[in-house]
Amino acid sequence: MSSATSLARHFKRGQKLIYLPNFVVALQKTPNLPPTFAKFIVPLNFNKLDLRDYLFHAYGVRALAVRSYVQQQKVRMKDSAMNRWYRPRSKKTMTVEMDKPFYWPDDPEDFTPWDKETFDAASEEQERGQGGKRKDKPAPRMEEREDKPTLAEQAKALLSGKVKWSPTKQMQPLSK
Amino acid sequence: MAARISACMAQPAHRSICLDTVHWSSSSASRCQFLPTYRASQFSTSLPRCYPRDRNRLRSMSAIKGSGLGPSYKLSVTLEDLPIPVDSKEISKPQPDQQHGLWGFFNKERTVLSLVETDSAHGREWSVEELRRKSWTDLHSLWWVCVMERNRLATEALTRERLKAGYGKHEASTRDKAIRRTMRAIKHTLTERWYAWEDARQLADSDPEINQSGSGPLYRPIVSNDYLEEHDAAQSNEVKA
Repeated sequence: MSSATSLARHFKRGQKLIYLPNFVVALQKTPNLPPTFAKFIVPLNFNKLDLRDYLFHAYGVRALAVRSYVQQQKVRMKDSAMNRWYRPRSKKTMTVEMDKPFYWPDDPEDFTPWDKETFDAASEEQERGQGGKRKDKPAPRMEEREDKPTLAEQAKALLSGKVKWSPTKQMQPLSK
Repeated sequence: MAARISACMAQPAHRSICLDTVHWSSSSASRCQFLPTYRASQFSTSLPRCYPRDRNRLRSMSAIKGSGLGPSYKLSVTLEDLPIPVDSKEISKPQPDQQHGLWGFFNKERTVLSLVETDSAHGREWSVEELRRKSWTDLHSLWWVCVMERNRLATEALTRERLKAGYGKHEASTRDKAIRRTMRAIKHTLTERWYAWEDARQLADSDPEINQSGSGPLYRPIVSNDYLEEHDAAQSNEVKA
């Protein structure tokens, strides 16, 4: 990795010196973009000039153009039981055009080192155990029972004579 | 003009592409898959899409000057000579740049996702006691090592989520926690140092022997003969008494 000192800065440096930056910048894979483009998830209070500076000085990556996008997150509940809705903080992504292309290493084909089978089975079991409660959607008002026949099916059975109608509650005969 | 029109009346012997015969419908079987199918925007001057082809053979020709591409204008390519594009699987992989700066977002092995064992193979965080002995240069370097490592872990977290790879999130978050604690300890040490410096500076303000103006030496001890004479006088008084 070439050091930043050997590269010439292609932009005017800002005045503010930050010695101890306390934020995280994550690189996202973008297979649909050309290899000279890279997409990062950056802090919400980051700006394009910051990213250009950061990439150049920390990584030696020359960002010729930067585009930013703030994606609002979906409203969700704090707890699946409680009904306290909140909107998580928005995510800011920045797409950067570089002078040199970057080719990502291949994705692993075999997920045995991360025990994917056990993980998938465990998470499926957990979801089933929670009874389909979700934090991003409100609980369904009516319980969806798969064994109960639909109204149409019930009507059809009654009309065809398969089922004889009887009242739900039967009056008990008066004891004599 | 007459010669041009008569030339176009005769059917071309070979299947060359004339401007008036170019239409994007699937007349030829195998080659048409490589012909581009345009979905251009509609403008007020655009031709209506219901027309399969432009039946104006004198399109782009000037009525007055006769200039422009005529109806018998033949393009330099023929349908037979169209190059067949290389199959995407056979396209040779480009030579990767080993020195690219973005490799800083990846682990030492340069894989997309670290193994769980690798991520959990770390010790405890630096303690404040250990960091107190370190210089600013060392502390600053350690801070940046922590920052780059956190960026790498965040990148891998996104990859793990994307691939639905399996386990590893807990181990990575434990590693991240240790890194954050180290960063906290660094800031703690620097804060301590700053307060020590600030206290010293305030003390120096009230000390007449210290000159903080910047001009001349910092420490100017007051060595006056009067003091020595007073001291000698005091001693002699004691001796007398």
